[in-house]
Amino acid sequence: MNSSHPTYAGNLQSEGDQTIATSRTDDGAPAPAAEAAARRHIAAVERRALGNRGWRGTWMLFRRELARFMKVAGQTIVSPVLTTILWFIVFGYSLGSRLDEIQGIPYVDFLVPGLIMLNLINNSFLNTGFSLFISKIHGSVVDVLLTPLTPLQLIIGYTAASLLRALIIGGLIWLVAGLMGASTLHNPAFTLTFMILTSLAFALFGLVVSILAEDFDHINLFPSFLLMPLTFLGGVFYSLEMLPPPWDSISLVNPILYMVNGLRYGMTGVSDVPVGFGLLLVAGSVAVFGATAAYLLATGKKLRE
Amino acid sequence: MADSYSQTNLLSIRNLTKRYGALTAVDNVSLEIRPGEIFALLGVNGAGKTTMIGCITGMISRFEGRIEVAGYDVRRDYRVTRQLVGLVPQELNFDGFFPTAETLRYQGGYFGERGNRERAGLLLETFALAEKARENTRKLSGGMKRRLMVCKALMHQPALLFLDEPTAGVDVDLREELWNYISGLRDTGTTIVLTTHYLEEAENLADRIGIVNRGRLLRVDSRDNLMRAFGRRWIEVRLSAPVPSGLLERLDDLHPETPARDRLRISFSESAHHASGDGAPVKRLMQAIQNAGLEVETL
Repeated sequence: MNSSHPTYAGNLQSEGDQTIATSRTDDGAPAPAAEAAARRHIAAVERRALGNRGWRGTWMLFRRELARFMKVAGQTIVSPVLTTILWFIVFGYSLGSRLDEIQGIPYVDFLVPGLIMLNLINNSFLNTGFSLFISKIHGSVVDVLLTPLTPLQLIIGYTAASLLRALIIGGLIWLVAGLMGASTLHNPAFTLTFMILTSLAFALFGLVVSILAEDFDHINLFPSFLLMPLTFLGGVFYSLEMLPPPWDSISLVNPILYMVNGLRYGMTGVSDVPVGFGLLLVAGSVAVFGATAAYLLATGKKLRE
Repeated sequence: MADSYSQTNLLSIRNLTKRYGALTAVDNVSLEIRPGEIFALLGVNGAGKTTMIGCITGMISRFEGRIEVAGYDVRRDYRVTRQLVGLVPQELNFDGFFPTAETLRYQGGYFGERGNRERAGLLLETFALAEKARENTRKLSGGMKRRLMVCKALMHQPALLFLDEPTAGVDVDLREELWNYISGLRDTGTTIVLTTHYLEEAENLADRIGIVNRGRLLRVDSRDNLMRAFGRRWIEVRLSAPVPSGLLERLDDLHPETPARDRLRISFSESAHHASGDGAPVKRLMQAIQNAGLEVETL
């Protein structure tokens, strides 16, 4: 290990006791040469530390997170896109052709925003949730916790990658749906803003859950028992008008209803509920989950003791 | 800024106490580490060594007392101290997503370092992991994972390196290589604090040793002083006949004692005990007894 690589073995001139004899003295003080080398090294690291604002490290964390989901792109990108296209074909074309227009637009157009929202929510949540949680389980989360990155920088690194994954999936579905004849370009700027805010909110939610989670069930619980049902009941496939009372009123407490409808407004111009409220809701969710994640990372709860 | 660090101590711990409910894991510990030394925290498992290190490196943020690295407070100025400090944790960890070389490049990158590709290559070569550079970290053996963890801790070239039980579960060959590497690292300017429950490891590596028990730092002294006080092993044999004086002369440098006419006793350091070859004290003793035509009755 040392003999063939003098660069790091440094002043090692021989092995074993002789080396030790040259670098330490009897009273336990380091030998002057070793101390002088250490003092130079400390000054050099201190200089680097004071010049390091952490943004390069944040970029590397983002790059790592991006590389992580791209390594398993079959599961993280291709699978959700394919599944959604299948749904789109089955519900939108075979069943949808038997339905009349909903709120004045073809059922296919009505369906696309809901399916995209379903994917944004799931994938942005799972990306941060899974990534951080698995590094907790493997113990490798210390690699990140020992860095000089601030809580905000950690949040940015993790959620930016999640956001990108959600947007890639959302964009692909949008593209394929468009190629198959869906008309979803009512207000692209609003659509993109809404997609970004919703994905961010759930990426941050995933981060919070993964910090607090103690086993895999906690991570899987949310998509299966909360996000998926709320999304399905949030009007992915139907309009509130089609629900009998009291379900149409009960649905109004479901926050995801506003997200689905917000995106539907951006893509098609129709919505069951006020769009402004939806925008406020997703922006508020970003703020609340962001603040919670920042608090957890700053205090070190569940991550540091 | 000066090219050379001028304060007396690199690490300064003042009245560090860490409690977990009723348990006091670290109890009012104060300690100073000087630039360029190798310091060993010696104590049994559960003595509080890892907790102490956790407080310094930032893994534990709630504690009483004050810890400074190069004059920077580890909680207030963590962005500076974490760059100064490196940690090789005791628990094996791995990423599972990336090959070893890629893992190292990210690790250096988190600290804002440049030239990570070259440095990763050099470290992998130094730690005999070069041929595993493209292998997923999941597939490394335990010993390799441990070496990779040392590489990770060195990617940002820390000034103060903590090694928490660096040779736990490591075979003898690798252990000696690691020891050599650690002393080499110190010679090139890295200050080192290691924890161990092997006296031998502390004796082999450290300039100074701190003895930790039940969260308290009982004694800090130079290795030589402590070894004089503690680090001795002895062996006593009862021979088949009284001890001849020729035998004593032949073992003169081992300072033999004769507690009784037919008893012979030698004591030696921990490291001499583990030495191999003809110089090893136990082997020499046995050889000399055999050469004198005597037999060992009891040991």
